[in-house]
Amino acid sequence: MLNRGTLIYISQRLVLIVFTVFAVSSVVFLGIHRLPGDALFNEHLHGTQYQLLLHHYGLDRPLWDQYTSFLTGLFLHGNLGESLVNRGVPITPLVLRELTVSAEVGLFALLFTIGLGMLLGVVAAIRQNTWVDYLLSTTSVIGYSMPSFVIATFLLLFFAVWLDNFTQGTFYFQIGWTGRFGTIGEIWLPAFALGFPYASIVARLTRASMLEVIRQDYIRTARAKGLRETVIMARHALRNALIPVITILGPLVIGIITGGVIIENIFGIPGLGKEFANSILNRDYNIVIGVFTMYAAMVGLANLGVDLLYVVIDPRIRY
Amino acid sequence: MATSVSFPVPGPGPAPVVGTAGLSAPVQASLWSDAWRRLRRNRMALISAVYLVILVAVALVALVHTPYSYREVGVARPYSGPSWANWLGADILGRDVLSRLMVGAQISLIVGVGTQVFVVAVGVPIGLLAGYYKGTVDSVVSFIINVFYGIPDLLVAMILLLLLGPSLNNIIIAIVATRWMDMTRLVRGQTLALREREFIEAARSSGAKPAKILFGHILPNSLGPIIVQATFGVPAAILFEAFLSFLGIGVQPPTPSWGSMAADGLAAIRIAPHMVIAPSIALSLTLMAFNFLGDGLRDALDPRQKR
Repeated sequence: MLNRGTLIYISQRLVLIVFTVFAVSSVVFLGIHRLPGDALFNEHLHGTQYQLLLHHYGLDRPLWDQYTSFLTGLFLHGNLGESLVNRGVPITPLVLRELTVSAEVGLFALLFTIGLGMLLGVVAAIRQNTWVDYLLSTTSVIGYSMPSFVIATFLLLFFAVWLDNFTQGTFYFQIGWTGRFGTIGEIWLPAFALGFPYASIVARLTRASMLEVIRQDYIRTARAKGLRETVIMARHALRNALIPVITILGPLVIGIITGGVIIENIFGIPGLGKEFANSILNRDYNIVIGVFTMYAAMVGLANLGVDLLYVVIDPRIRY
Repeated sequence: MATSVSFPVPGPGPAPVVGTAGLSAPVQASLWSDAWRRLRRNRMALISAVYLVILVAVALVALVHTPYSYREVGVARPYSGPSWANWLGADILGRDVLSRLMVGAQISLIVGVGTQVFVVAVGVPIGLLAGYYKGTVDSVVSFIINVFYGIPDLLVAMILLLLLGPSLNNIIIAIVATRWMDMTRLVRGQTLALREREFIEAARSSGAKPAKILFGHILPNSLGPIIVQATFGVPAAILFEAFLSFLGIGVQPPTPSWGSMAADGLAAIRIAPHMVIAPSIALSLTLMAFNFLGDGLRDALDPRQKR
């Protein structure tokens, strides 16, 4: 599997990712520095104090100079600079720490998406044209029509407010993030809200491809052999029905990464998405550039990971 | 996205070639009446259509009359719940939630329909050209489309709004910039399939110019999938705007948007749940209605089911 062709392919893709990161960070850097006014506008500083601050961030130098030192800092030292709002906070460690939090939530969301989506899809396909199928199909349209923040809102309303009131505070969902690594208890609601809309899409896709697969000859052969229905479904049908599902894994991962921006804000999870939205609102431009650079790298790596997964799952694909 | 991400699934998929092109005019006409007949039989699509008509009516009424001004502060006690005077209660500043919801409907519809107008205006011609001329044009267009699909749209839209400044026009620009390629890809595929058909060959051999072939023959025959795609594009755009406004970088106060109303309400979820429930339900129902209508239109315009 990990032959020479694959390795060459991986290295090509990695070069492409580095190039993408370069292009994205350049566009954002130059775009932001062309904005009228400057990031320290809200500080209401004047005179020497203001000049000192500008000098501290290198904002008094010509744009080209700032740009080259940003690029050398990024690619040679992995240094994304210093926060404009919280003075003295270096961005790279901050962003890396937030990435671990976001990744944790994202992985659980992915688990919900794929697990729940496939389960519902298979059930709907096996019970095609019964009330179960219609119920699940309708649910899936509702599922992908509900914005993740609406789902999150109703989950909060139910588990954090009403349940709290109903049980008089003995059982409820605690909003927020406690430790360096969250516990399952504080992840499952955000992960569900993040994953459910995509689970509906996976369910639709699984249903459609299952319906196609179970009409094929080799399934009839398996039935004729006298195999049990569960074995046929689990071992013969589902495996081939999975292939179209894998193709949407790429957009799915991107969707979960971007969806995190909203969900992390709602549930107060200190991840990359919350930082991104806050830094845009606070005009902390250095963090905006840093987080966006991080996102570009993450999306590139996630796409590469998905493409490599194809090779593992479908032996017909080779690079 | 369903939500803001592009998935090949809920859309029209590998677009069917619509139209019994090459046959005489009366048959063409019956395609649309056939589609209408099938659409009327689809109960969910019909209910959705009725809901959307009501929504448009509400948005139009809000142009001339709302129960209170959407920006008037203190018409009721802040956070007060639904009552006879304020059907959906009041928000943090004592503004009437129902009036704000009505004006928010205008914003959502403007963004939803407005973006699709531009998406069609940008995506259709590019797709036609790429599909018809193939070769270099197609390679360049396909490359650009793939680049755009590779970058996360919500993040790009956020950066665009940061650079352009938040306003309704810029929101539409940002959404079109991240969503035009859905339509382009669809029309390109349609054109690639249609250009090999006999009736196009006949048109070409009878001396029709490329412009005539593209807009007189290929475009009318791909109208069905385009309509379906645009219908699915509307909820995607509305959702996108709600996301942006929810984060505070979309429509700016005091103009209400369902997204920003939900964000305000979420902050007061313990003391005034009506503030978040009202816009959430309005948003969900609207998105659902467009998606069901899109599903219905796709089934109605799909000739593979006709026999």
